[in-house]
Amino acid sequence: MDLNLENIKLEYLSKIETISTDDQHEQLRIEIFGRNGKINALFSEIKNIPPENKKQYGADLNQLKTELEEKIKSKNIQKADKLTTDKLTSSVFGLPKIGHLHPITQTERQLNDVFLKLGFSIYTGPEIVTDEYNFKRLNVPINHPARDMQDSIYIKEPEVLLRTQTSTIESYLLQSHSRQLPIRVAFPGSVFRNEKVNRSNHFVFHQYQAVVVDKGITMKDLLGTMDLMFKTLYGSDVVVRYRCKYYPEVEPGVGPDMQCFSCHGSGCPICKYAGWIEMGGAGMIHPKVLEMAGIDPKKWSGFAFGMGLDRWTMAQKNIKDIRTLLGGNLAYKPNEK
Amino acid sequence: MKLIYSHLQKFLPTLDVKPQQLRDDLTMIGHFTNYFEEIDNEIVFDLDIKVNRGDCLGYYGLAKDLSVFYQIPLVINTSAEIINQAKETLPIKITTNNVKRVLAVKFSQLNNGLSPPWLLKFTQCHQIKSINLLVDLTNYVMFMYGIPSHAFDVQKSTESLIWEMNPKYQEFISLDKTKLNIDKNILMINSPTKPLSLSFWGGHDCAIDNNTKEIILEMAVYNPAVVRQNSRQLKSVTEAGVRLEKQLDPELIPLAFNHLCKLILQNCQGQISSTFFDYYPEKVNQPLIEFNPQNPSLISGIEIPTEFAIDCLARLGCLVSSNMLITPPSIRPDITMAADLAEEVVRFWGYQKIPTNQPLEYKKVSDITPKEIHLINSLKDKLTDLGYDEILSWPLVAEPSNSATVVTTQNSINTESIYLRQSIIPSLKKQLSLYQKYKLYSPQFFEIGKVFFKEGDTYTEKNSLGIYHPSSDQLKNDLQYLNLPILNKDSSFVEIIIDSLPKISDYQPKVVHQSAYELSSQLIILDANVVFDETQDPSQLIEKYSQIIGTKHLWEIIITDIYQDVNNHKYRYTFRVSYFNITDKLAKEIHLKAFNLI
Repeated sequence: MDLNLENIKLEYLSKIETISTDDQHEQLRIEIFGRNGKINALFSEIKNIPPENKKQYGADLNQLKTELEEKIKSKNIQKADKLTTDKLTSSVFGLPKIGHLHPITQTERQLNDVFLKLGFSIYTGPEIVTDEYNFKRLNVPINHPARDMQDSIYIKEPEVLLRTQTSTIESYLLQSHSRQLPIRVAFPGSVFRNEKVNRSNHFVFHQYQAVVVDKGITMKDLLGTMDLMFKTLYGSDVVVRYRCKYYPEVEPGVGPDMQCFSCHGSGCPICKYAGWIEMGGAGMIHPKVLEMAGIDPKKWSGFAFGMGLDRWTMAQKNIKDIRTLLGGNLAYKPNEK
Repeated sequence: MKLIYSHLQKFLPTLDVKPQQLRDDLTMIGHFTNYFEEIDNEIVFDLDIKVNRGDCLGYYGLAKDLSVFYQIPLVINTSAEIINQAKETLPIKITTNNVKRVLAVKFSQLNNGLSPPWLLKFTQCHQIKSINLLVDLTNYVMFMYGIPSHAFDVQKSTESLIWEMNPKYQEFISLDKTKLNIDKNILMINSPTKPLSLSFWGGHDCAIDNNTKEIILEMAVYNPAVVRQNSRQLKSVTEAGVRLEKQLDPELIPLAFNHLCKLILQNCQGQISSTFFDYYPEKVNQPLIEFNPQNPSLISGIEIPTEFAIDCLARLGCLVSSNMLITPPSIRPDITMAADLAEEVVRFWGYQKIPTNQPLEYKKVSDITPKEIHLINSLKDKLTDLGYDEILSWPLVAEPSNSATVVTTQNSINTESIYLRQSIIPSLKKQLSLYQKYKLYSPQFFEIGKVFFKEGDTYTEKNSLGIYHPSSDQLKNDLQYLNLPILNKDSSFVEIIIDSLPKISDYQPKVVHQSAYELSSQLIILDANVVFDETQDPSQLIEKYSQIIGTKHLWEIIITDIYQDVNNHKYRYTFRVSYFNITDKLAKEIHLKAFNLI
């Protein structure tokens, strides 16, 4: 029997709130306070509680009993104010309850849809990873300054950590499929950084990455495919520029920037007066990364790009606080699609 | 990094583009420029320098890039040798191979004091505090060339300097009087009797002040990994450290040091009173790279003329042999292979010349989608069809479910969440508690996420599904409908390890655009009775009042009761309306107006 009184309280408070008819009210009252009800069952468990905890358990149980009594009684008072009328129905009428996918899932699926149409597979990978796959195989050796770009959460320093980027999945993917080329793969995933959680930052956030390895893949393929993705997400009028950017795992590296949707390039607080908003990172897979995976860079080339999903999703749903996305105060209207 | 337009023009006198154009061009060739602003009649740019471009932490490196991009000459006015007739040699010892090059000299009879206006303005634009003329000049040259230097007050310290790994000292007091605990891993510059300086931060005991008359001036480049490690270990970040932890060019030291010496002689008078000390035990060997001039075209997917490629590399300072063997300049240690050369050519040709309207076309390649992804997508769709909402929660938790198998993080700065979760149920309970706090009393929701375990040195992670429904009976029915195992018949919570379920080979997930809301306060729940002469369709009534109230603050309307007044032939409908992200007062106003209760 579950003796976690806090959980039991939450469960019954929730049930009390959902009752809307006298019958339901009476049924629940019996379920909680009846001879064979929950409260009596919990009292009968006292004999099994260790002596040193008995006193506290008894006090907590009495407190629970009082709270639930008050709650169900107040529900009773609300229901008692009836006219001298006949009740036509004991049902509650409401529009059908609609289930919702989390906004991050919605975003991932929108992106998956773009790539599935181009023949991509959807992939996944471990979240507990080794330094080798998170850094070394991505051309970031120990002591490389690029390690400062990502503050890691270690499980067993320096070898075992939580993945800091979805590129880590790329490391595993390239190695495991080095003899099954060509590949076209996209993978959404959560990644971890050692950040204090506040309104703007979180230690866990979500990225989306796409990887292609084939013969004759060029930057033109990369930029065209990214542009297709941005246009699918933001509409055909979106203006994106592709600039030179450094990431150790790619060369040449590319930084896609979207023209600020608020100021249209003139500069405003949203884009920090740059006129552009950084949208992620991309590039041609570095020959060293291919080599480390056992792929001959003279025969094969490829591109990779990744982008963060959280801020974009927040903008779409008008969410101001990143904490809302993960177990916060994110909620869905029960009847709204 | 800050960049003052007029000082950039000291290296590029013919540079004449508008600030906005320069900002955009710098960004496009890889030096992301956040903004520019006018400070005291100077145009100042704010740049993010790439971690592999230590050379661009100085104006000189950026000017070299821009001279290639704009095809304008790079002018160096400080290359003339200083005539030095001093005979005294500096008693300097270097006992560690973490020093790559040191150039040093002694100055005497100096007049230190306040910096002139141009230098004060320079420090102001770079957002650093002016200390005194000598210190400001060393900082000026650091910003101009990207190589830090350091001056020791001879009267306060000693004429004898030793570059060494910390031999015995336990404490070091920095220029700003910060006390640092140091160990044997710290690269230092010491006198025979006391610590004087770290590689990246000067010491208080030999600091330059307005009375300083005699200095030893040094400029050095170190093993960047050691500087980086020292800086991290001591949790100290300095402008010098930011540069010295990158691969800097020892060959650039004479040029920068010469310029600094000239500035000191011009501004502080005095004289050079020692010979130049130049420690450079191992000259950097530049790689020889085989280059195919077609490579930039093959990588970019567009035609880039080979003449442009070769010319571009030559202008970057590469030595180009007739058989296409390329030696990059020493200032560019980031160029080590053919791909690096190709990137240089493509970025100066311009990414913007690559078309963006030719995406990959569909191609049939092996589908390597793992089957569990199909199963997860299918479960998500089925659960939302049944009215469940999806949540995501923290995978790091405060309490382990089983301390014997819990995976613990070592350095999480979120000290309240250091364990990787072993079950999704606590996350669901936390979410339920939050929903109740917001007065969402009948939620039904699920989460699919990873749970983690440790056995010995082996870490495992499994995909898990957690579901909550306020009615355990309904939950049981839903599980039956989904063909999922019923593990606990009487609970409103259930958790199922997905990896143990039968896989499905293919599934096309739904793409949906659904709304979600960030609740800022509790829902406000208000009732209203409306009396009608005839019975009504409840759904139509809900639609009608939903439209009257509007969607902005309306969460939900339900009809909780319908009564017939037998004597008067009336029908009374009781509505319960939930409002969100709204004050009590405003909710009541809307409510009373909508139901004509005013």
